[in-house]
Amino acid sequence: MANATDDAADRWSDLMAGALRRGGVRMIAHVPDEVTSHLLQRLSADPAFTVVSCTREEEGVAVLAGGYLGGQKGALILQGSGVGNSLNALASLAVAYQLPMLLLVSERGRLGEFNPVQVPFGRALPRILDALGIQFFSISAPEEIDAVVGGASELAFSGLVPVALGLSTRLTGGKTLK
Amino acid sequence: MTRLEAIRRMLPLLGGAAVISNLGRNTYDLYAAGDRPQNFYMWGAMGCAVSVGLGLALARPALRVVVLDGDGSLLMNLGALATVAACRPPNLVEVLFDNGAYETTGGQPTHTTRGADLAAIARGAGIERVATASDLEGFARAIERALRDEGPWFVLARVEQATSFARAPRRPISVRDRFIDAIGPA
Repeated sequence: MANATDDAADRWSDLMAGALRRGGVRMIAHVPDEVTSHLLQRLSADPAFTVVSCTREEEGVAVLAGGYLGGQKGALILQGSGVGNSLNALASLAVAYQLPMLLLVSERGRLGEFNPVQVPFGRALPRILDALGIQFFSISAPEEIDAVVGGASELAFSGLVPVALGLSTRLTGGKTLK
Repeated sequence: MTRLEAIRRMLPLLGGAAVISNLGRNTYDLYAAGDRPQNFYMWGAMGCAVSVGLGLALARPALRVVVLDGDGSLLMNLGALATVAACRPPNLVEVLFDNGAYETTGGQPTHTTRGADLAAIARGAGIERVATASDLEGFARAIERALRDEGPWFVLARVEQATSFARAPRRPISVRDRFIDAIGPA
């Protein structure tokens, strides 16, 4: 049943899917996630996108690296905690071989977090990405999506680097305890 | 059968197929057997070769994609087999050289020497086309079939441990550029 939360999720998800398409993204790798479920439904229903559901985030980095070798630009959609599962492939494949991709990171351990074990990695995430030389831009309102995703696509695919976009809990509402 | 012998036997069968080689001895032996621009040599991201092959196969359905993988590496990323099975790319061929050892790090035994059966794991993950070979003739037959018939394929080749002294140049950006040029635009 639709409610105000679903309407908000639909709105930012529509904007995000459109911005990814305009940014040239055609391959999506993801690990299933409640916060990005509306976005993933849209991307899966759109024949412009090849969507790969992965068992682990590092797989997603590698799938997108292979997709890029084949001429398709890609985005990985993952939780912040999943970045920890993807670090070796990000470093030794995406960064080392200059295989660009967008990382759409739904924030954990940040504003509104209810689970204490999510906090250490969420707190460290910006510095971990920074240590790898991966630029990180946070999106906190639907109005920012077009400009940030468009700019990040240009930066990633022209600069041949992975670029991380943080989906702030202010944008998504975050994950709530049920 | 050694891995180098098997790769030498395989190369003339490949035509223009792309090859993704796992870090360590698969990359060394592929380079020693025959450097070609359609070879993508990995130097890191242990366990990820099959996933790179999956992404390439999905992006390029008209291209055969062969992954040369090792037992130690694949054991690190077994979930990737389930992802391959779920995506069902007909043009992907995963070649798993099982020597029962982490050869690149000094030959320590892997769990395939203690009961893990990677062919059974591939089947269990949902990959229907599984072949095994322990001699060169059987391996060549399996590769010919995997290059011809729809996959995804999982070809397990049991190989001896054999020290390889070949070293491919560690030039990731050059390898990337040459590979992209060789397989051409989508």
